[in-house]
Amino acid sequence: MAWSSDDWPEPIALSVEDARADFPILKRKVGDGKQLIYLDNAATTQKPQQVIDAMSEYYRNNNSNVHRAAHTLASEATTAYEESRLKLKHWFGATQSRLVFTSGTTEAINLAAHAWARTNLAEGDVIVLTEMEHHADIVPWQMLAKEKGVELRWTPFDLETFELDMDAFAIAVKGAKLVACVHTSNVLGVRNPIEEIIHLTHEAGAKLILDAAQAAPHDRLNFEGLGVDMLAISAHKMGGPTAIGALIINESTFQQMEPFMGGGDMIREVHLDHSTYQENEHMLEAGTPKIAEAIGWGAAIDWMAQWDIDSVHQHGLFLAQKTVAELRKIPGMRIYGRHAEGDGAVVSFLHESLHANDLASFLDARGFAIRTGHHCAQPLLRKFNIAATNRVSYWLYNTEHEVDEFISAVTEICNKYT
Amino acid sequence: MATTEWPEGLLEIIEDFSAAFDTSERYEMLFELADDVDELPVSEWTPSTKVHGCQSEAHVLACLNEDDTFHLRGAADSKLVQGLISITAIALEGLSLAEVAIFSPTYVEEMGLKEALSPSRANGFLNMFKKVQHGAVLLGE
Repeated sequence: MAWSSDDWPEPIALSVEDARADFPILKRKVGDGKQLIYLDNAATTQKPQQVIDAMSEYYRNNNSNVHRAAHTLASEATTAYEESRLKLKHWFGATQSRLVFTSGTTEAINLAAHAWARTNLAEGDVIVLTEMEHHADIVPWQMLAKEKGVELRWTPFDLETFELDMDAFAIAVKGAKLVACVHTSNVLGVRNPIEEIIHLTHEAGAKLILDAAQAAPHDRLNFEGLGVDMLAISAHKMGGPTAIGALIINESTFQQMEPFMGGGDMIREVHLDHSTYQENEHMLEAGTPKIAEAIGWGAAIDWMAQWDIDSVHQHGLFLAQKTVAELRKIPGMRIYGRHAEGDGAVVSFLHESLHANDLASFLDARGFAIRTGHHCAQPLLRKFNIAATNRVSYWLYNTEHEVDEFISAVTEICNKYT
Repeated sequence: MATTEWPEGLLEIIEDFSAAFDTSERYEMLFELADDVDELPVSEWTPSTKVHGCQSEAHVLACLNEDDTFHLRGAADSKLVQGLISITAIALEGLSLAEVAIFSPTYVEEMGLKEALSPSRANGFLNMFKKVQHGAVLLGE
């Protein structure tokens, strides 16, 4: 029987204990026998057993190439693959839109640059970005600017409030053709005023591509409700496998797109002197797709669907806010971000006299997995005149006890080495 | 090079690290050793002293003692990285340039640090070590 969103249960408030029980990796020890405390979820989340099982089951029982074969396995694989697309469309409120599978958010943005912007923008056209962007939402536009002579305008953010300068944005967007903006910063955790950005963008007659990689794990994004033109997401930051993501595209934008890569799956007919292309999402999915990964992502969405997403969001924010309050008690510690209602569960911090890599190494030796570096957002860090921060990021399986353990370890390390 | 052939100063450090309770304690020892290096001040950091492929900013300068034996100066913004430079300086101090050129970097493994070093830091260590050896070769020319 075909999948329907009625198959999802009525979501219940998050039970951290029950959710956590589905993640076998969280039980493991690291290094010389320390209990793993995984606080690097903004880089990638762990995968529940249900995702691992779905992918194993596909390879054990259903493995076949999709779309072009008249045999049972191909039919099963195709059904499961397309069912995942359908689940994702329902999850992201995009049932009337297009969802193209990519290798992740980075490829999704590159796809938008190649398949839409390259065709629809010309020399002198303007793209508005923000100084908060991940490199994945900077470099493709720089490459396009170099190739097409497109102008890039940058929206600054305030170093004290960590908020975008919306007055500057309102000016920059005038006459622009495209706005590329991050929904929730992977460094600051700041959720940008997306609704206002959408309004101003469309008022200016421009299109908007939203980088929602960090928002998707904590927010039930409603693509059509928001009225975004394109949305880029990654599976692996929301319990799904690596190497798969998607670009969600509204119909009018999709109709303006040209194929990006040529080859299998995206063609209708190939002749020696010309080819014709598929008219649906497959037009932008050349080659054998990421079948097991798509199925795994579908399983991740099924798993996520049991939890009330607001309770997931509130849990992450609570852990982040507690972390900030405790880190502020350590002399010499600087926090980057405001951690207000709606923000992501990400805390970037830096001690004035303990190198970020040294702190991360001391924590690693105690079992804590945290991230250190520029977080693929060098322009953002450069504004603060720093090259790196430490960063912890939470997801729905992290406990308050883990936060307490983390704070205790950081405090002990800072007392000892600063 | 077998354990027994390590220079005396290095051998002592290897034994201390081997006896350490866990990685945390090894890092603590590494952190403390950082201060023992003949520190290359930031004012002397140049593109030619910079160690590439290291997550932190690390610099080394191969020098000669008055008796023409090897001496290493170095520094890093990360104290743990500077600790690794310091141990390398202790390992190579007073050796002939020819001995430095064939010295094995495996002392890090014997200290129980190799597993603890992240791949980027392990690569950074090897880059640093090769740069030091290359510096010794240049001094001999």
